[in-house]
Amino acid sequence: MYITQISVYLENDHGTLRTLTKTLADAGIDMLGMSIADTANFGIARIVVREADFNGAITALINAGFMARKNKVLCAAVPNKPAGLDSVLAVIEANGIFIEYMYSFNYNLAGNALLIVRLSSDKMDEDAIAGILSESGVKLVSQDEVNAL
Amino acid sequence: MKVTENKIYNPEIECMDRDELKALQLSRLQETVKLCYERVPLYRQRMDALGVKPEDIKTLSDITKLPFTNKTDLRDEFPFGLLAADKKDIVRIQGSSGTTGKPIVSGYTANDVEVWTEMVARSLTAAGGGQDDIIQVTYGYGLFTGGLGAHQGATRIGAMTVPMSAGNTQRQLMMMHDLGATMLCCTPSYAIFLGESIREMGYDPKEFQLKSGCFGAEPWTEEMRNKIEELFDINAYNIYGLTEIAGPGVAYECPAKAGMHINEDHVIAEILDPETDEPLPYGARGELVFTTITKTGMPMIRYRTHDLCTLTEEKCSCGRTHVRMGRIMGRTDDMLVIRGVNVFPSQIETVLLRVAGVAPHYQLIVDRVNSTDTLEVQVELTEEMFSDTVADVERIRDEIKEGIKSVVGIAASIKLVPPKSIQRSEGKAKRTIDKRGLTN
Repeated sequence: MYITQISVYLENDHGTLRTLTKTLADAGIDMLGMSIADTANFGIARIVVREADFNGAITALINAGFMARKNKVLCAAVPNKPAGLDSVLAVIEANGIFIEYMYSFNYNLAGNALLIVRLSSDKMDEDAIAGILSESGVKLVSQDEVNAL
Repeated sequence: MKVTENKIYNPEIECMDRDELKALQLSRLQETVKLCYERVPLYRQRMDALGVKPEDIKTLSDITKLPFTNKTDLRDEFPFGLLAADKKDIVRIQGSSGTTGKPIVSGYTANDVEVWTEMVARSLTAAGGGQDDIIQVTYGYGLFTGGLGAHQGATRIGAMTVPMSAGNTQRQLMMMHDLGATMLCCTPSYAIFLGESIREMGYDPKEFQLKSGCFGAEPWTEEMRNKIEELFDINAYNIYGLTEIAGPGVAYECPAKAGMHINEDHVIAEILDPETDEPLPYGARGELVFTTITKTGMPMIRYRTHDLCTLTEEKCSCGRTHVRMGRIMGRTDDMLVIRGVNVFPSQIETVLLRVAGVAPHYQLIVDRVNSTDTLEVQVELTEEMFSDTVADVERIRDEIKEGIKSVVGIAASIKLVPPKSIQRSEGKAKRTIDKRGLTN
């Protein structure tokens, strides 16, 4: 139920992000979604690409000198209407699950907005977290569905 | 700037005829070697391995027959393996950083504390100190020899001793000002920092009584001397020492400011070619090696300081006859002195290995900003260290920072950098970049 995201460490220097986008552009990678966590000292770019681009993106980034690795996140299809996101977060909150970060990206899947969430829990493993969300009516998007975007 | 009166604490010894001094050194060396051979297993094993017996030391130059002692020996024999005295006769432990996580310690008998105190008393007297002085000791008190060493010497010469220890600039200046301190003992970089803070903290430099200071525990330059002298309108003197031998006072400058007189009635200094370990003549630059000849707690035979300098036997204008050593010109190993603290890259490596699980490439960047040493540790991220969450990455960074603080004892800023971003030379990373320009 999880999809793969690519995370990249960014130094807080002028031009670092451009180097990243140029690297992916030169490798012909189509970014489906992206977000950047910024701190005073560094940043982390999180990028969603199709499965066919995993290796190409990682290889290009590493060759360009980046620390890049894959990790698993949930992709939720959120009703594109008022209270859509709130209904998803209500489930997360009610089950005592923590949100490490989340971001939405600019694709529409059958009237739904797409939301990437990285969740954690003291009590549940990642499969249990995904299970609870599904059981509670949150529509989780598979890697295959992302690949078809 | 007032001229420092040429005072000598122990003229009989400090101005001793060199032939007499050498005879004294020989008899003391013979006693020390005998003591070490009889009481310290490591020395006995090494001498046996070289086929040397205490009675083979017939002249001073026979010292070259003796084995070397290294900092790693103090670590391996930590804490009491190198003691030549019974533990009950040890009255003091002092220590400094080792090459890895574990510190090294040295045990002092009452005799050793006395020897050390005399050495500092000579140093402070040479810098113009006496019983009319108020000496502010701004070296750290504790295992580090700086604070207690200067304290003992200042008390010995009858000065009013002000045990400030390190840090808290505002309070340092307030006490210096209000008590009318006449002498200052601290690291040269902190002296500059203090001097630059005088006006900032609302004082008029003319209201201070300071006339001189003994500065050491880190390498420094003539430019820094000029700066300290100008900031405080004082004479700034260099003082040298190391815990393994005693502490500050092993060598000290006189008013001639032309090198530091080595207390040769207590130690024998050699300069060796760092490549061949062969003795070099006076004037040649090489590694400074000390043998203690009066210590009874933890005597050191041919202890390798890894400090590079020159020695001169030329007679000094002050009247002292003891050999002088020049400023430290560099190191034969990769030790750094940061804010007076000895730092080895291997210590940092120990921390990284513990925190990151593997030993990532890293580089130490030492600089001096506003007269204060700064240490930045750049660490190349490994896959194990990197995560998609900010909290995880910051945790790794903080663990490295805290680990370095606890192992090395100084605060460093940690910069995580992408893989392979630290320049390699011939496949090997250059571990340190020192931008302070203290050595040549």
